[in-house]
Amino acid sequence: MASVPPPPNDPPPTLGSRLLRKERRVVAGLDPQQLIKYFFGANSSIAIIVLVLIMAFLLREGAGFLTTYRHELEVYRQAGLEFCDLADRPLQHQRVLANALRRALSIEMDPLTKSARERRDAAFLLKASVEEKTSASRADLEHALEQTPPPAADSLVHLREVVKQKTTAAAAAAEYPDLFTSAEKSRLQNELSELSPEVSDLPPFLQSLIAEYSTQDQAARSKFAGIISTGELFEEATDPVVEVLDELKAHATETKEQATEYFTLKAGRQQLLDAAATATDPERKAALLAEAEASQSDGVNFGERIESILMRREELISKLQEYCTALEAAFKEMPEQSTTAEATALVSEVRHAIPGHLGEIHQAVENLKNWKWDAPVAFYRSLGAFFFGTEWITNSSWQDFFGFVPLLAGSVVISIIAVLIATPVSVVAAIYTNQFASDREKEIIKPVIEFIQAIPSVVLGFIGISLVGNLIKDFSEISWLQWIPGFPIQERLNMFNAGCLLAFMAVPTMFSLSEDALNNVPRAYIDASDALGATKLQTVFRVIVPAGISGILSAILLGLGRVVGETMVVLLVAGNRIAVPDFSAGLGVVFQPAHTLTGIIAQELGEVSRGSSHWQALFMVGIVLFGISLLVNWCARAVARRFEPHKA
Amino acid sequence: MSADSPAIATPPPVVQVRDMDFCYGASQALFDINLKVEYHRVTALIGPSGCGKSTLLRCVNRMNDRVTGARVTKGEVLVKGKNIHHADVDLTQLRKQVGMVFQKSNPFPKSIYENVAYGLRIHGEKSKSVLDEAVERSLTHAALWEELKDRLHANALALSGGQQQRLCIARAIATLPDVLLMDEPCSALDPISTLKIEELMHQLAKEFTVVIVTHNMQQAVRVSDYTAFLHLGKLVEFAPTEELFTNPREKLTEAYLRGTFS
Repeated sequence: MASVPPPPNDPPPTLGSRLLRKERRVVAGLDPQQLIKYFFGANSSIAIIVLVLIMAFLLREGAGFLTTYRHELEVYRQAGLEFCDLADRPLQHQRVLANALRRALSIEMDPLTKSARERRDAAFLLKASVEEKTSASRADLEHALEQTPPPAADSLVHLREVVKQKTTAAAAAAEYPDLFTSAEKSRLQNELSELSPEVSDLPPFLQSLIAEYSTQDQAARSKFAGIISTGELFEEATDPVVEVLDELKAHATETKEQATEYFTLKAGRQQLLDAAATATDPERKAALLAEAEASQSDGVNFGERIESILMRREELISKLQEYCTALEAAFKEMPEQSTTAEATALVSEVRHAIPGHLGEIHQAVENLKNWKWDAPVAFYRSLGAFFFGTEWITNSSWQDFFGFVPLLAGSVVISIIAVLIATPVSVVAAIYTNQFASDREKEIIKPVIEFIQAIPSVVLGFIGISLVGNLIKDFSEISWLQWIPGFPIQERLNMFNAGCLLAFMAVPTMFSLSEDALNNVPRAYIDASDALGATKLQTVFRVIVPAGISGILSAILLGLGRVVGETMVVLLVAGNRIAVPDFSAGLGVVFQPAHTLTGIIAQELGEVSRGSSHWQALFMVGIVLFGISLLVNWCARAVARRFEPHKA
Repeated sequence: MSADSPAIATPPPVVQVRDMDFCYGASQALFDINLKVEYHRVTALIGPSGCGKSTLLRCVNRMNDRVTGARVTKGEVLVKGKNIHHADVDLTQLRKQVGMVFQKSNPFPKSIYENVAYGLRIHGEKSKSVLDEAVERSLTHAALWEELKDRLHANALALSGGQQQRLCIARAIATLPDVLLMDEPCSALDPISTLKIEELMHQLAKEFTVVIVTHNMQQAVRVSDYTAFLHLGKLVEFAPTEELFTNPREKLTEAYLRGTFS
């Protein structure tokens, strides 16, 4: 509608009225109202556009990973590293078993040789302490003896006298432990008093102590000859295999290095050619082409190089079979029973693992027989190796593996711990604040809990390292708490510690959203319940909480989202051990260190070269993390909708 | 005011309000109220907005207790002869005795069955057969049984507005209260639903005693046996409904009925 022209004697319009008046001023074909509308619309679209850009960027960087990784796995196979690993994997297991045997042996031997060892060590400690107390005068005497020409005889006599006096005093002052009988004590004192830098022989009593220990040690060794000989045979049995394998490994590594060099040069040449194609200056173009030509190198002939490995296939297999026979022979001599329960457990553990280990070797032999260096690596293999791989090994001189499972397991276990701790705390606090707290209490509780959000996560990580870790460690050593699985704990920095701190960080989110959910429960429900004679508790737990349950569940899920994405705390506190947690420890698994999806990106992304397979692998982790966050958020929304009561 | 009510020899009034003053903090809402509610009768409270009819209704089951500063400053309220503000009185028992239906239907976001059983459950009833029986009886009383017996476990919020309000009535009568307070129960309903509830009230009066607050004077005429007219916190007139509407004794009542003010 056209505006009525102002009467001629109107005062000139002020700035405010000009801005506010709906003048028909048209800018770029739009009137101001439409412009404002589009401005607001554009602002809200920015969020969506940025989100799409982030996804596109992540995908662009991460998408190349599968091809790169496949290529690496191809080289791994063609160079023969895979072949070596087939034989090497069971041998790694063998080392674990051998360690267990060694530990069992030391547990067995320890009580038998303990007394002699302690007596010997105590006597040597005494000797050392006497010598240290008299070190000044001993040094003087030694100095005098080394002089040329030798000093006057009487000054030497004097120095000897001083040493003698001091040594006697020190020997008298020394405390002799009750490991020795009183006769032995006085003998020891006498001998220690005689100590002098001029006599290098050990005092006879100390010599006898050494002899005593070695007799006991011999006795113990002959008693446990069974375990000892088994252990030695077991450890030596792999030597021939390892010998062959080491040579093969060296060869394979060499092939791989050549391949890496070739591919690097090839990539460099491609860059030079690209540059030459776009170069405008003909001279420059020629130079670039020449350079590219110069870097031309021959590809690696995998087929030729692999021959020297394949030639020895039969040898390796026969060595492995010999190892099996040696192993069986070694364990025939193994005694059935041990004296201590702990050693028995260890030995029987090894014994039970042996058939499995043998099976492993036989499987390895089969695999070695069937192995083909030129079998193609299927595309899904690289996908599977990423999503189901249990090893994340980077910067290895042997082979990098990007297996995602250890990181996922760490993230999942930590998140579960955090949610299990944070949920009861925050939901109960929300119920209390919303339903029972006085206004004064509300004024304190709400801001304090919301303030937690303002604490920088790096500060929390600091608290986790310095305080929570020590607390958990101290608690785990209390004797009447030993029934808790995993106690006493080994590592201060572990998943439980990280879970506790993340729970603390999730509390504000869960608390505030749960409190809102309870607040949104219609007043009318409470009226109805009260009018029926319900007590306060009955109203809260039978009406208010059930009515607010959708909001509470979605609050928990959003808290979970916060926990999954948190980086700094887990990086500092979770222990950063890249291995799948040992779930056979039952609930005690929570006290093991682990690494996480977020932590690995933060830790490693700064140090890898751009575009390398490692870089791409980290982006893949980022993509998965992004997916998990989206999924959690989507679930939160779905839950809120699913349980939302029908609108009356 | 007992002289105003017709002589009914027995039984004694189920609710009796004696010389009651009521305050919200510093402001007085009710002045010197005297009222007797007889067994098995429907008593209507009418009056202009803000006259204190809802406050008076809520005094009977002490719903006003939840408002800070609200209290009875003089007089007493007796339910079946017992002073409800006496220290011995258990509030949950009082509210079991005096049920209430609100202006806006407010079923819980639970199943129909659970809504009706709620009152019994919170008073400790666990036996399934007792609950089943009470649900059937209450829904029958509320004229809902035939409609809903096949979907007792559907969510109550899926019902229509009128059904929801009748469900609230069923929920309130499940504990077999002596008195049923209704605070403008039809104000949010369409005419057909209103009619159903009004029919229901006559039925309910056979079992229970009903006190209803209403804005709608025709409704008071249709459903009630006695009517109390309140104005500015004072009980102006209390008489059998027919008498009050045809032959009001107070000028103020007459003016209100004629619509001179509202």
